[in-house]
Amino acid sequence: MFWAALLPAPQLSEPQRLEALRGFALWCLQFTPRTSLVDPATASAAVVMELEASARLFGGKRKLVERVKIEALELGVAQLGWAPTSLAAVAIARTGQSNGYAKPLEALLDALPIEVLAPVAAHAATLSRLGCQTLGQVRALPRGGLSRRFDKELLGALDQAYGSCPEGHVWVQLPDSFSAKLELMSRVELAPALLFGARRLLLQMCAWLSVRRAGVTAYTLKWCHDAMRAKTAGNGGELTVRTAAPSRNIEHLSRLLAEHLAKVGLLAPVGDLEIVADEVHPQQETSHSLLPDARKDGESLALVLERIAARLGPQRVLRPVVAEDHRPEWMCHWQPAPEPHPHPRQLARCVQHPQPTFVFPKPLRLASRENRPLYQGPLQLLAGPHRVEYGWWDRVGDRPGDPAGKDHPDAGSTRHVARDYWVALSEHAGVLWIFQTRLANEETGWFLHGIFA
Amino acid sequence: MALLLDWIDEDCAVPPLQSAPVRAVLRPGELPPAVQAAIWRGDQLGTPTAEVVRTGFPNLDKELPGGGWPAHALTELLQPQPGVMEWRLLGPAIRHVVSQGKDVIVVSPPKHPHLPGLRQQGVDERHLVWVQADTPAERLWVTEQLVKANAAGLVIAWLPQARQEQIRRLQVCAHSCDSPVFLCRPAAVEHEPSAAPLRLQVRHAPDWELHVHLLKRKGGTHDELIKLPSVPGSLASLLTPRLMKPSTLLTARQKRTVDASLPHVLGRPSSRPPALRAPTP
Repeated sequence: MFWAALLPAPQLSEPQRLEALRGFALWCLQFTPRTSLVDPATASAAVVMELEASARLFGGKRKLVERVKIEALELGVAQLGWAPTSLAAVAIARTGQSNGYAKPLEALLDALPIEVLAPVAAHAATLSRLGCQTLGQVRALPRGGLSRRFDKELLGALDQAYGSCPEGHVWVQLPDSFSAKLELMSRVELAPALLFGARRLLLQMCAWLSVRRAGVTAYTLKWCHDAMRAKTAGNGGELTVRTAAPSRNIEHLSRLLAEHLAKVGLLAPVGDLEIVADEVHPQQETSHSLLPDARKDGESLALVLERIAARLGPQRVLRPVVAEDHRPEWMCHWQPAPEPHPHPRQLARCVQHPQPTFVFPKPLRLASRENRPLYQGPLQLLAGPHRVEYGWWDRVGDRPGDPAGKDHPDAGSTRHVARDYWVALSEHAGVLWIFQTRLANEETGWFLHGIFA
Repeated sequence: MALLLDWIDEDCAVPPLQSAPVRAVLRPGELPPAVQAAIWRGDQLGTPTAEVVRTGFPNLDKELPGGGWPAHALTELLQPQPGVMEWRLLGPAIRHVVSQGKDVIVVSPPKHPHLPGLRQQGVDERHLVWVQADTPAERLWVTEQLVKANAAGLVIAWLPQARQEQIRRLQVCAHSCDSPVFLCRPAAVEHEPSAAPLRLQVRHAPDWELHVHLLKRKGGTHDELIKLPSVPGSLASLLTPRLMKPSTLLTARQKRTVDASLPHVLGRPSSRPPALRAPTP
């Protein structure tokens, strides 16, 4: 048997300690279902888990212990103890030691004070009057006398700690939904600094997700302002983080949260944090096969685009969608990349005649000399004209995102275009796409619209 | 002892069988092929072990180390004006990347990419992502994230204001990136040192050509101009034999304008528009 015991920090208040124990137990469940609480009602409560059977799944004992040590530190575990029995692991952790395998278990436990085992500590007054300071001295007393004079629990606990009698546990059950709270150690005034506390909660959430074999697509971070806040600040705020694909990768989730937090301004110092997993979906597992696949290191494109969109804003990471139109401005529109493509079954048709590869957002009016367009010097017209006359039915205001309201100057007009497109060559600016169109007062004008780059 | 002796006998017996034919082939001063491949001499084109993506221009492939755009490294494209010939130069490589189902990502191009035109070049709308990063710091951050993630098939970033040490940082990140990364920068930075192992100066020439000058590559220097024939894919069907040489049209027009400007200098401008004149041969 290979037991680990996790102790919360001793200075926590009662509700804080219960919350911390709950979080530890949740986190332990990802390693093994054999997770249990020891003395949950007392101030020295602990969480224990049995890891013997899980060692191979997590890549061997050494790797597993390393991982538990590192993550426990992030989780806020005050002391971690390892021993062959759960009570011994708790006893060793309570004395501030960690390794229960350094010496034979009996030699190790014999030296510990009697306070480390709760059923023994209950009789501390009587035992100390008998001259017993350590567990070894209690064990040296005659068994018959001990069982007659003290209750059954004392002998039972001693036997279980020394491994001479089996232990019985009530295993911790996994909750159906996830929400975890954390009271911050000090008031936090800047939103990015919330990440430290939030990461502790995310660690629990990822453990919960991995037990459920699921991934999260949306989770909410809520924060409460502390009691000394200004009246206008309100009770607190919340922030929902969404990802495109279900994920339980702690690095990805916390990096996304960091990008979102960087844009949040706190109205008052924050005292409490809470994380709720809103949308949970089952996730496909990858098998650890003997033959390695052609695996790519690095992350998937969706993840990195999501992170970029979180910092720059979703309107600035774009994928094109082709619309069936003849006017270049409306041939193609751009939508945020993480959104699913609207027409996955077939691609829209495109015009067949030549199209440039770069276009100007608005056609650029060109100067002209003797009816010839100028752009960085005179332009040589190569091919054309190609007439595009289309869109008399397309009223301004009909499309989503148009300027609404009757008082807008463009209201009621249409997006009708009548243009003659030419391919033109400039010595410096390359192959250009320009058009000539009629303006008011019987004039014509040349416009630069695209580049065959 | 007997065992040891046996082993020695065996060792002595085997090598003459193996080495005799090899020695017969090698001339003095020549190295076995396996050794030869591992040695890089200063006067050779470097052969990077990393894979490359063919440029699609045979006479450019010939001059590039490895025979194509290098992966695991940055490639700098220096041009007098941005947004004039990028798609034409990189088009064949992009087509190759897209045909493998990988994505092409453009970071803050100088103009809006126009998908109908790109589609005629072979870029599918499902494989193009446009990241609009405005400030130089954002552009660098986005490029670095993309390079580090190693998820795209090809990255093109326009970084007009990047400094020397920032390029170096990107180059270090690019070591672990399996796709080519192109940085488009102004021609003015030609004389600044740069960590990118491949630097090209590209100019647009009137006769449907791109003139490439290799500023820096692994291996010996290259001073000649490489002329790449490049007609934008969609225009190929429109070009008549006369239009295949637009430079003759340009010079003819210049002559005409010189002729037309003479009377203007003396007094009255010509009443006839120049287009109606008989074309000069």
